[in-house]
Amino acid sequence: MDQHSFIKLVNPFKDKIYRVAKRLLVSQDEAQDATQEVLLRLWTKRSKIKEYRSVEAFAMTMTKNYCYDKLKAKGSNNLKIVHNNYEDHSGNTSKHIEVADEVAWVYKLMEDLPEQQRLIVQMRDVEQMDNAEIAVALQMNETAVRVALSRARKKLREELIKKRNYGIS
Amino acid sequence: MESHNIEKLLEDYFEGSTTLQQEAQLRDYFMGDNVAPHLKEYESMFTAFAVASEETYDRPIVLPKQQKPRYRFMASAAAAVIVGLVIWTQGTQVDNRISTNYENEEVAILKTKQALGMMSQMINNSTTQLDVVEEFDKASSTLFK
Repeated sequence: MDQHSFIKLVNPFKDKIYRVAKRLLVSQDEAQDATQEVLLRLWTKRSKIKEYRSVEAFAMTMTKNYCYDKLKAKGSNNLKIVHNNYEDHSGNTSKHIEVADEVAWVYKLMEDLPEQQRLIVQMRDVEQMDNAEIAVALQMNETAVRVALSRARKKLREELIKKRNYGIS
Repeated sequence: MESHNIEKLLEDYFEGSTTLQQEAQLRDYFMGDNVAPHLKEYESMFTAFAVASEETYDRPIVLPKQQKPRYRFMASAAAAVIVGLVIWTQGTQVDNRISTNYENEEVAILKTKQALGMMSQMINNSTTQLDVVEEFDKASSTLFK
């Protein structure tokens, strides 16, 4: 496989790798590095690519593993993840600012989910992968995916309702 | 879509039992302008998911240079080693068999002829063995175009 056909192969899901990595690593720069690294690893394994039923699922698994390793290394270094790359909404109307703030709040809530739930919400609700695909990518069974998904969604709802109630009182 | 229909879908959604199609319906509803007031708190959730799905990776994909020349070099190096080995082993064998102390000139000539004949035969043998080396190039050229 030459570089041209490799890039053609990975193009449909490179954004997905980036978004999934960003959901886990939060920082834009780190997510970009992760994407580059995953693509590079995929490139070095290109002779074996045909052995995998889905290259995309394989890439997702690699992304997950890479990000988990990164997070683990970070945890042991006692570094706190600092996120400051939420969009700048200056110039919008106040209504838009309100919605944008709420959206940013949802991302913040997602960050507080356990890693696995975060990944599953990202894959299901953002990337719209079905549970079977997620199960393959995360090396889990489908029932476990569904349970974790339900838990994560309920947790988000709970926090959103909490926030609304605080807002009123 | 009526809001009680949406409420039912939401209920399933939080149980993780909606299909992707039903989730798309929910997204469409919450991204629209007619969200019922009591469902407003879910608006930000579905908006967040939709916005997040639009992010793209804009950096160019950087890949290392292909390693074709290196494999070529290795193949030719291996060929050279094989040629060297063949010559060396054959050469030592020939050396062992030929003795130069012949009493009769005729015998000496015959023996020399015999030895030369043997040598040319061996060289022919070894060159045919070298055909195998070509397989390296064939194999590598199908792998790396």
